[in-house]
Amino acid sequence: MTKLRMTTLLVAATVAAAPFAAQAQDGMARAKEKLATYTEKPEFVAPGDPFDIKQCAEGRKMLSIPNNSGNPFLKGIIDRMKAVGDKIGLEVVEWENQGQPSQWVQGFDYAIRDEFDVINLISGISPDTVEPQIKAANDAGIKVMTSHFYDPSFPRNPLLSSSLPIGFNEIGRILANWVTVNTEGKGRVALIVSREVPPTIPLVDGFTEELAANCPDCEIAQEINVGVAEWGTKIQPSVQSALQADPDIDVVIPIYDSMSQFVVPALRLTGKLGQVKVPTFNGTPFVLDFIQQGAVSMDIGESLDWIAYATVDGHMRDLCGLPVPEKLNVPFYIFDESNAKDAGTPAQFDTGYGDAYVSGFAKLWGLE
Amino acid sequence: MTTEDRAHAAARRMRLFERYALLVVWALLILGFSIALPNSFPRWGNFSILFASYAPAALLALAIIIPLTSGDYDLSVGAVMTLSSCLIAVLNAWMGLPILLCLVLAVLAGVAVGLFHAFFIVYVRIPSLVVTLGSTSLISGIVQWFTKSSTIGGIDNALIMSVVGGRLFGVPYAFYYAFAAVVVLWYIFDYTPLGRRLLFVGRGREVARLNGIAVERVRVGALVASSVVASCAGILYAGVLGSADPYSGLNYLLPAFAAAFLGSTTIMPGRFNPWGAMVAVYFLGTGITGLTMLGIPLWVTNVFNGGALILAVTISQLTRGREAPDIG
Repeated sequence: MTKLRMTTLLVAATVAAAPFAAQAQDGMARAKEKLATYTEKPEFVAPGDPFDIKQCAEGRKMLSIPNNSGNPFLKGIIDRMKAVGDKIGLEVVEWENQGQPSQWVQGFDYAIRDEFDVINLISGISPDTVEPQIKAANDAGIKVMTSHFYDPSFPRNPLLSSSLPIGFNEIGRILANWVTVNTEGKGRVALIVSREVPPTIPLVDGFTEELAANCPDCEIAQEINVGVAEWGTKIQPSVQSALQADPDIDVVIPIYDSMSQFVVPALRLTGKLGQVKVPTFNGTPFVLDFIQQGAVSMDIGESLDWIAYATVDGHMRDLCGLPVPEKLNVPFYIFDESNAKDAGTPAQFDTGYGDAYVSGFAKLWGLE
Repeated sequence: MTTEDRAHAAARRMRLFERYALLVVWALLILGFSIALPNSFPRWGNFSILFASYAPAALLALAIIIPLTSGDYDLSVGAVMTLSSCLIAVLNAWMGLPILLCLVLAVLAGVAVGLFHAFFIVYVRIPSLVVTLGSTSLISGIVQWFTKSSTIGGIDNALIMSVVGGRLFGVPYAFYYAFAAVVVLWYIFDYTPLGRRLLFVGRGREVARLNGIAVERVRVGALVASSVVASCAGILYAGVLGSADPYSGLNYLLPAFAAAFLGSTTIMPGRFNPWGAMVAVYFLGTGITGLTMLGIPLWVTNVFNGGALILAVTISQLTRGREAPDIG
């Protein structure tokens, strides 16, 4: 009798568990398939119909206002936009600032005074903080556009002429699929975020949704929210504490890769360097160096030069009344131990992504 | 026993309580977290990591208390720490200079900054608050320039190994460097004429001058020592991180000041003292570690730090019967 009951229970348990096992296997297959897209060298996909960009841009002026000129990522994009501008007759000027809203306001005044055609708010300045200035610019006939700021799911400020969002949600999904594949569907994750940075929300949403869909046995053990200003003082002790409190954590995800500067020493001190996997996003050179040294596992990068080309393309389409792409036409590419050396030693911002975009845009713009 | 004797005895007990109150609270904090997290908090590994990771902050708190004792503020210690770590990174990782030479140059940069401060504070007679505030901005700008505002990895592994690679009793060397600095400063403060002169100059410059103390020389020495210790904190910081960046070190200024003031309520209450500063750094570090282990949001740690500082200074003041404060 007892034996029969045991057998019944075992059969019932197996039948009940079978769908979960199948779900996990399906999830793993989906994750692998999706991830494969980002491990191939990026190919150029035209963001719209061909057009004569020189005719559109000749004699026009664009003022690019970064969130902070001290940020080498933004500085790098703008420098490359200047180079692209030289090729097509567009004058690109940077409004140098130190991240203070009063300086952004001065930038708008300058653009109105000097009769610019376009103001480009690049990666970080929320249009909501400079609404009166955008109105004034619009009244003066200047088109205000953002790039590399919104997620496609965000409603953009109605005062903007157009926006070139970037798929932060997609990045979250890539990270989730990477965790699924690289932990054999059993990852226990500590997620380090900065919730005051707007793109964090869609990125984390993408991560949690994709992880739940493809990795039922994975778990976010702890989410550590650290303000950007406190990265230097809080990330390291927090990660150390999280790893001490929960030694089963096998993946630490600093969602922006500059955070890993403080994650790596935490792993070193807790003796977990090389054991705990660290996937991240942004393609910052020193983090690509960390991959070469075995301290970080993976970094999702974007080529700055590609961003520069795609931004100029999108903004010129808007300026000349053509349909604007729904998002910034820049592919994400995964760097890991297999290809981190392609980024150079020491790594550079633009190296390792291939140059498919250069001829692609040249052909699209009628420069060849 | 007369009423006066009883009053004296009560006052002595209060002073004794004040002297060790922070240590007792620290012990209670450890006990509380150990009860809440019996499997993870009360482990030697946890404390060894805590000791090592807060070593740069401890050195920075020590850097602050030297000029504070002689009556000057140094708000630039965070910037000097950043200057030092970034100099090491640029010279070693980018320019390929030997790491030892880089460390020497980092310390020399500290000497130069200290002399720069001393010139304007002691000889031009500009308030220390203004000069060091200005130099913080100046140094930050220069550091952003020579690092191209980027994070620099690839610092010689020998430095990392000397700071966090090697361990004694399970504790990385970083802690022992900070500990050694505390011992040296404690000896100077408490057992040498120089320490007494520092204190006299801080308590009353004119009185010190009338007593034949070379006030200017003492102040110059304190300012230079502060920058040198901050440079050493930068060396530890570069060793702990294995990289350097032009921004993160600046955020250590306020926690270090908090630790310096909190430390002045313990061990030698009413006086900036090295042991007190060190205890305060690790007391605050214990709070952050325990709260994070409990999974409590990080904003709580800021409330904890600020609350602990105000509460400790208030209790210290009340214990002293609201006598005129020695500090601030």
